[in-house]
Amino acid sequence: MSLKYGVLGLLAEEPLHGYEVKNRFEAMLGGTWEVNIGQVYTTLQRLERDGLVRPVGSRGDRGKLLYELLEPGRTALNAWLSAPDQGPQRLHEEFYVKLLLATRLANGDLGPLLARQKRAYLQLLRDLNQLEDRAKRDGRNDLARLVRGALLHTEADIKWIDELSEKNGGGSRDTK
Amino acid sequence: MSELVRLTDITKVYQGGVTGALNGVSLAIEEGEFTAIMGPSGSGKSTLLNLVAGLDRPSSGSVTVAGSDLGRLSETGLARFRRDRIGFVFQFFHLLPNLTALENVLIPAQLRSRVSAASAGRALMSRLGIGEVADRYPSRLSGGQQQRVAVARALINQPKLLLADEPTGALDTKSGDQVMALFAELHQEGQTIVLVTHDPKLATRCAARVISMLDGRVIDDARLETTERKPADVIRVRSEEPSR
Repeated sequence: MSLKYGVLGLLAEEPLHGYEVKNRFEAMLGGTWEVNIGQVYTTLQRLERDGLVRPVGSRGDRGKLLYELLEPGRTALNAWLSAPDQGPQRLHEEFYVKLLLATRLANGDLGPLLARQKRAYLQLLRDLNQLEDRAKRDGRNDLARLVRGALLHTEADIKWIDELSEKNGGGSRDTK
Repeated sequence: MSELVRLTDITKVYQGGVTGALNGVSLAIEEGEFTAIMGPSGSGKSTLLNLVAGLDRPSSGSVTVAGSDLGRLSETGLARFRRDRIGFVFQFFHLLPNLTALENVLIPAQLRSRVSAASAGRALMSRLGIGEVADRYPSRLSGGQQQRVAVARALINQPKLLLADEPTGALDTKSGDQVMALFAELHQEGQTIVLVTHDPKLATRCAARVISMLDGRVIDDARLETTERKPADVIRVRSEEPSR
């Protein structure tokens, strides 16, 4: 859903072509979300159908067609911006299901599973650290904020694994 | 790379308690590696670092650092080993308050020889960004500056091995970041570093190897990939809901 509002938000700045929408959206997200141009055009067409944006100029040359935000679009965008994100907490459901099954099948010895998962999180933390440094170097403080959020989530995941390891009695050395 | 540290079947027993004890630790560290040792308090990580530094002796097992079997060294030999081979950075700086920053930096050099190392000390302090505070007393320095003085003191004798125990634990985030950036730079120049921390973010920021400890044992020894990855492979900001 945020692609729809991302498009509306970018059009609130100025009328744009489909390709400009794609490029600006990806640049805004710092490469963390790649959209294909087809998705962008589909989104623009839906927004047009719903009366939130409209094309400016002739329909002849699709690639060059500019879209502008209409008043109902601005109202919808403002309503979305002011509403909190109330979605459920998102967990790495695959790891959680593995954990449940391993508890049943491996006589409760979760050591190797936990150690391997912790490694994966440590690697992710390292990659996020690099991304944060790069964002700061590039003067992208907005992106650094996003990375910071991801870092904190990953730290929480590691803390969770550590708690599980302590309850599991110190884990296992067999992690190969 | 050649091996710089080898621990073989180390145990450390403390009378009257198990906190910080070690229970069969073996590991090797190569020259030029940046290794982080991570674990909750009481897991034995600081004990391990103190054994590598020759600040303490194991109850059993052997510690070899830069070719020296520490168990065979006398107390004097061990003191010489620490002075010449090891740089140690503590959480709370441990600077002498009645000496200037420069005088603190020079202590290990003066213990080694009577020749003045003042110019080398000043040069090192300039490189670490504390050149202009060389003649101040520690009480007139910020925490971050004090820790950089402590790093300069650790490096003045050009040790084979730099050991740091929670070096950013007493610093604010910005000063901590500066100290870690300094460690990263030293590592780039070839310094072997072992960092003890309970903080995974700090551990993975510079170190490509992360050893996890719990209850006196090594529970994992991870070597991380260091190649940079595309943002989209590290973070995905995308709702899974199909748009309507």
